[in-house]
Amino acid sequence: MKFRVSRDALLKPLNLVAGVVERRQTLPVLSNVLLNLDGDRLSITGTDLEVELVGRVNLESEGDAGEITLPARKLADICKSLPDGADLEISVSDGKATVRSGRSRFTLATLPAREFPNIEDSIGTHQFTLKQGQLRRLIERTGFAMAQQDVRYYLNGMYWELRAGRLRAVATDGHRLAICTFPGTLKDLEDTQVILPRKGVLELSRLMQNDDEDVTIILGSNHLRATTTEFTFTSKLVDGKFPDYERVLPRAADKIVQSSRTELRQAFTRTAILSNEKYRGVRLKLSNGSLEIVANNPEQEQAEENLPVNYSGDSLEIGFNVGYLLDVLGVLSGDEIRFSLSDPNSSALLEETDGGDSLYVVMPMRL
Amino acid sequence: MVSGCLPDALELSSIVSMSHDTPPSTRKIIHVDMDAFYASVEQRDDPALRGKPLAVGGSAKRGVVAAASYEARKFGVKSAMPGVTARRRCPQLLFVKPRFDVYRSVSRQLHEIFARYTDLIEPLSLDEAYLDVTADTAGMGSATAIAEAIRRDIRDELCLTASAGVSYNKFIAKVASDQNKPDGVFVVRPGEGADFVAALPARRFYGVGPRTAERMSTLGIHSGADIRAQSLHFLEQHFGKSAQYLYRASRGEDYRPVRPDRQRKSIGGERTYAEDLLLDEDLRKALEHIIDIVWERIDRHRSLGRTVTLKVKYADFQQITRARSVSPPVETRADFERLSRELLEALLPVPKGVRLLGLTLSGLEAPQAAGSLNPGVVAEPSPVQESLAF
Repeated sequence: MKFRVSRDALLKPLNLVAGVVERRQTLPVLSNVLLNLDGDRLSITGTDLEVELVGRVNLESEGDAGEITLPARKLADICKSLPDGADLEISVSDGKATVRSGRSRFTLATLPAREFPNIEDSIGTHQFTLKQGQLRRLIERTGFAMAQQDVRYYLNGMYWELRAGRLRAVATDGHRLAICTFPGTLKDLEDTQVILPRKGVLELSRLMQNDDEDVTIILGSNHLRATTTEFTFTSKLVDGKFPDYERVLPRAADKIVQSSRTELRQAFTRTAILSNEKYRGVRLKLSNGSLEIVANNPEQEQAEENLPVNYSGDSLEIGFNVGYLLDVLGVLSGDEIRFSLSDPNSSALLEETDGGDSLYVVMPMRL
Repeated sequence: MVSGCLPDALELSSIVSMSHDTPPSTRKIIHVDMDAFYASVEQRDDPALRGKPLAVGGSAKRGVVAAASYEARKFGVKSAMPGVTARRRCPQLLFVKPRFDVYRSVSRQLHEIFARYTDLIEPLSLDEAYLDVTADTAGMGSATAIAEAIRRDIRDELCLTASAGVSYNKFIAKVASDQNKPDGVFVVRPGEGADFVAALPARRFYGVGPRTAERMSTLGIHSGADIRAQSLHFLEQHFGKSAQYLYRASRGEDYRPVRPDRQRKSIGGERTYAEDLLLDEDLRKALEHIIDIVWERIDRHRSLGRTVTLKVKYADFQQITRARSVSPPVETRADFERLSRELLEALLPVPKGVRLLGLTLSGLEAPQAAGSLNPGVVAEPSPVQESLAF
């Protein structure tokens, strides 16, 4: 194998791919990237056996076809530290790879391409395309609510539901729940649902860099594949049953508060300082036209905020983990939010008032 | 012995804080130190091991020698040495697995012997203790006689040998116990302390490890006498917090009392793995195992602590610790688990293999017995986070 490539064309896909592989090294070959050259098309593959990322580069001229694996981190570091605009020539012979650029020359160890594991693929059953920015929004608006290492393993990921042409992302850790719905309709698709593992979710959102460009998603029974012009990402799916999230959406909320999102967020941020750092509890006291937020800690310190809000109705006192509220207020973007409550033991609903695409359920804390 | 190293290191803070105290009247302190303790117990219990070079521990892939018999020490085998190094130095070296429950029970017998002669016993490890025998409650006449009586009891009843240092403070007693090791006694009387200390290599002072010793050496300080020749100001400039202690110790002064009520400062545990751990899942699994071990200890001591520290040693021996403190202190296993896991999660994925994981709970508070709350203060129930009803 032998080819020439400009540093700038190679660097970005190589970095993305190296990001997948560099972290785990159960098998020596897993710390390598697979380079495959066919004419002027170079593909770079990295995997950790759970996710796989293939980056593609179009070369300016055809090279000698072939495939080989090279140490990912070292190759990426070499590429990164060469000057802008540099050209690289990569050639392989006798089990060694040589990288030449200007007056630099590097000889790297290789492992044969046949040792490189192929993530086992299932047949795709559903395919749809949306903008990268749209997919990123679905992930960003819900990802924070995914569980981490919960014994209910199906919560350690993100639920994607396709129903009547509508795509919805849901995440929950059992205490709070986040839902974001893609506003468009995906035509001619049967209903289905998958759980994407936490890691796959985080990797995927990292790849959604060009908001206005397309990403095509293919769902299979065991795998999800996302393809753009630049890369193909594959992740295993979590085999499990996601809880019926609609059951926990509050139905009987009768106390509807509207407030400026930024004011509310700032008030919570300040009161959080003096909340118990273990439980992070804050007390909300709601009355006509005002919301009082109080936090105490074991050192007997206290924070109080009094916020004018749009509310009329019975008074209510209810506790929350302030971290859960701040997570929600951190991803919402509208000017005004709606906070729907019923009683101190029932869940609260948070959403943007201007018909946003996201819904958040937060369970209270008995203080 | 490996386990003996830890208390010394921890003690520095108490040395520094005690050094301002006024001198007490002349005391009589004995430092008793068992000879090659683990190895001697093994040789006592298995005649086939007697007279042979023996290492306790260290046979596993990454094992470390916990104790070496005197026969093994002739070959340069030392405690804390990797098993492979030990084997290289002494190919016929025999390895046995440590039996800590046996050592603990011997240690209890040892404590019973000490208790015949004094109540003021400060254990440093399973096989080492300071005794304050100033009061001579057994009417033995002299501290030297007590030290000999203790050594005789140990020999007759436990079939083991011990060495003892007898002096007027802890520092000198401890150094003295090493002087005629094994199976020997060394006495440093009040008038002889300064000369004894002056002749010591600087390395023998508490808190002077290889690094400090090297720094001292470049400053021309090699012996106790050299330390003594420095002004307090000079010592403070070069050795910071240890200065006060070095200044006093080099004059043969050490006023730290023998403290039988020594409080534990931390509870912890760690494991070195035969193979480096690379996968997040394996690290998580390993952490759960350590949580089990350490929580069992915390539970047994009924301790509450505010700080959980995670220690990680990578395959290249780079070691990092990550700690989190909470208020109120960690009370339940769930809290301990959560904090431990959070500390680990923050390090995942690991950049390289992990050879050792450890957890420590520190900032210990005296455990509070149920129902002993201050009158008038009503304990508030902990907040309860409600869950979604799927």
